[in-house]
Amino acid sequence: MKKGRGTAYYTLGALPGIAILLVLFIIPLAFNFSYAFSDGGRAFEEVFTDPYTYRLLLFTLEESLLSAIISVLAALPIAAFFARYSFPGRRAVLTLSGLAFTIPTILVVLGFVIWYGNNGFLNALLMRITGRDYSLLSILYSFKAIILAHVYLNFPIAFLLIANAWTELPDTPEKAAYTLGAGRLRTFAKVTLPRLLPSVLSAFILIFLFCFSSFSIILVLGGSPAYSTLETEIYRRVHTSVDREGAAALSLFAFAVTGAMLILTSRGRKASKASRHSRELVKAKGRSLLAAAILMLLVLLFILPPMLSIVYRAFFTKAGDFTLRAWEDIAKGSTGLMSTALNGIINSFLIALSSSLAAVGIGSRSAAGSAKRNSVVLPVLSSMPMATGSVTLGLGFSLLAVTLGSSSLLLSYLLVWAAHLTIVLPFAVRTITPGAKAIPDSLSLSAYTLGISEGRTWRKVESPLLAPYRRRAFAFAFALSLGEVNATLTLSEGHVSTLPVLIYRMIGSYNYQGAAALGTLLLAEALIIFAIGEGGRRNAVS
Amino acid sequence: MPFLEINDLEKVYKDFTLSASLSVEEGEMLCIIGPSGSGKSTLLSLIAGLESPDGGTIVLDGTDITSKRIQERGIGMVFQDFTLFPSMNVQKNIEFGMKAPKGERKKTTEALLSLVGLEGYGKRSVTSLSGGEAQRVQLARALAAEPRVLLLDEPLSALDAPLRKSIRSAIRAIHDTLGITMLYVTHDREEAFAISDSILIMNGGKCVAKGSAEELYRHPKDLFTAFFTGEGTAIPATLVYEGMDGMLFFRPEDAILSEEPVDPEMYPVHIVLGGAEILSAEFTGSGYMLGIDYQGYPLLVHSATKPRRRTVSVMILRESALNIS
Repeated sequence: MKKGRGTAYYTLGALPGIAILLVLFIIPLAFNFSYAFSDGGRAFEEVFTDPYTYRLLLFTLEESLLSAIISVLAALPIAAFFARYSFPGRRAVLTLSGLAFTIPTILVVLGFVIWYGNNGFLNALLMRITGRDYSLLSILYSFKAIILAHVYLNFPIAFLLIANAWTELPDTPEKAAYTLGAGRLRTFAKVTLPRLLPSVLSAFILIFLFCFSSFSIILVLGGSPAYSTLETEIYRRVHTSVDREGAAALSLFAFAVTGAMLILTSRGRKASKASRHSRELVKAKGRSLLAAAILMLLVLLFILPPMLSIVYRAFFTKAGDFTLRAWEDIAKGSTGLMSTALNGIINSFLIALSSSLAAVGIGSRSAAGSAKRNSVVLPVLSSMPMATGSVTLGLGFSLLAVTLGSSSLLLSYLLVWAAHLTIVLPFAVRTITPGAKAIPDSLSLSAYTLGISEGRTWRKVESPLLAPYRRRAFAFAFALSLGEVNATLTLSEGHVSTLPVLIYRMIGSYNYQGAAALGTLLLAEALIIFAIGEGGRRNAVS
Repeated sequence: MPFLEINDLEKVYKDFTLSASLSVEEGEMLCIIGPSGSGKSTLLSLIAGLESPDGGTIVLDGTDITSKRIQERGIGMVFQDFTLFPSMNVQKNIEFGMKAPKGERKKTTEALLSLVGLEGYGKRSVTSLSGGEAQRVQLARALAAEPRVLLLDEPLSALDAPLRKSIRSAIRAIHDTLGITMLYVTHDREEAFAISDSILIMNGGKCVAKGSAEELYRHPKDLFTAFFTGEGTAIPATLVYEGMDGMLFFRPEDAILSEEPVDPEMYPVHIVLGGAEILSAEFTGSGYMLGIDYQGYPLLVHSATKPRRRTVSVMILRESALNIS
């Protein structure tokens, strides 16, 4: 896109977003720096020389690599099947896989505890089937639980990305290879795979980065300090050993590592242009139809039970008796953690709503400005908060609170809100930017040649075209804020309770009934937001 | 003084430089043709203000508009691609830049729609339009802003041939009705011949020639113009006139074919190229286009009948063989 006339208007419009990103990102980072160096740089030096730091890094790399590899390998054959056959339920499964982007991680944690736990439903089921009186499966609180949960959350993402990319690849080159006498295997290796590889790789990198900053899954499902990642260790240093300097220093180390990884991985990721001709799907019948049914059943059997068991557990005791006790507790605001449940529900909703609305409002102007100027600054800037990680951001904001020395509730809320906005805004900008880039130059220029000002062109011509993208960005941002645990937990220290934080605490105090009730609410909100986003996606595609 | 005057307009890119001067009279329909990459569209972009020049001036009706904003130039533009605003229907699109006062907008829109041959399309969504209809609406929308000059950047190139013909005559009719000055970029020479008052030929970022279609076709001043405006043959002039520099250029229809040997003495007003050999014959509908070899030089000759012999004589009127270089 050429840098044409009239970009000043867009640049000005983009400035608030850039300023907010800068300020909200630099403040916490600056506080991290100042604390890390507060004792003359000893904490900082210690972190970089301590072999434990590198053990943490190694473990973090190990769990994220393993999670990403398994997710992608499991997704590949199923994606291959979905890219070849059409059958009833195909679209539904693909659409539902998108849920993985929206489902808060804490629900996976909760679902796993209830379903896979030693006293969980799966074990109860197996005990009843086999007639034994001890639990057969011991999955939780181990390395395999971490990996399983990561795969649970990310396998649908890998599947969705790869299946969609594969379906969009025209199959004429494959047909050409067949006419040249190449067999199926050779065609796959030499023709299909090289074209598919960028999508596989980008799915892999996405999942890898996600698992690298994984927090609540490690903390709860790992269940032991032996399984510590950089993020969880930062959190432990803040809350268990109250070593703010050490935490800040470690967070800088993590920032350096993730920053380097983001730079490394962003090079290889070039979005391939979607081609006009996607492939013709073969209608599944007979054996392939049976295979489709079995595949879908397997996927659903893997995905659904943990989520369904949350809803079930919200209404039934462990013994299987129907009860509304948890709901009454929430409504009455009874004792303990439940006393803040209602508060948490409202908090979560309001924080998610306001931060995502702000993110979309600011983000669409920033995206438009970035697209007009073909800027490189904003994309880099908007990936910075991702590089810092939410625990680091939360830590930075909490250090700010400590420095301010105020314990006012309003300040806590403001800081939580600011942290959420910092986390959510980059994603909003990134979701809207492709939409802004897709607006052809000539469309805006033709408005100018009609004598229309830049402002009116933005309002009447360009902005309406971004509506579906904004809707998607809103849903994405809302879901992200709704599920946010890491920063909120690190930052709020009990002042501000959101739904996921409450669920996290209730899991910790074995109040599964209450956690499941709140989890059901969170799940419902996530599903509604997902539906809203899907509506936007459908429009954005056309 | 010409209505639109472009003086030494310059735009420098990494591997391409446009430098153009030209003048357009009020009410003129000027077609700009040239090979792709010759700078046609760049010239239009500069005139409309979509890009800023590195030098030179653009003067419209005595006012220098070189550094004016796009919005204040009074220059309309119809783009090659679909630029209708998807958020508005046909009517809203046309009214978007309309100069007419609020009360008359509906009537004006209807008049414009009937002018472009789309009566009753006002409420249609722009995404439901065919390519040809979309370009007609674009034209109506541009006219609604009452530009002093209308630029059309290959408006028909995305359409198929029959549609192109019907819309191009509609554009010419609109030009004649409104008397508006138009600059029309196309890569289709036939289109330019059909609708223009005059034609500007561009090549390599420069204006090569300007004139009426007939002038450029019959009396091209250079070989580029000669070949770009139609088919023809160029042979070294020394083949015919001893010591003459440059080339002799003639059109296929200006040559006559004789299957019998011809005595040049008998035809003093003709150039006679004897002993030529026919290599190919393509049926063109009205006759045959013959590819002929004369002493190693290829000749292109049009003949109403298909010759029976391979060896022929080619005769060209001396006055229709132009000496150009």
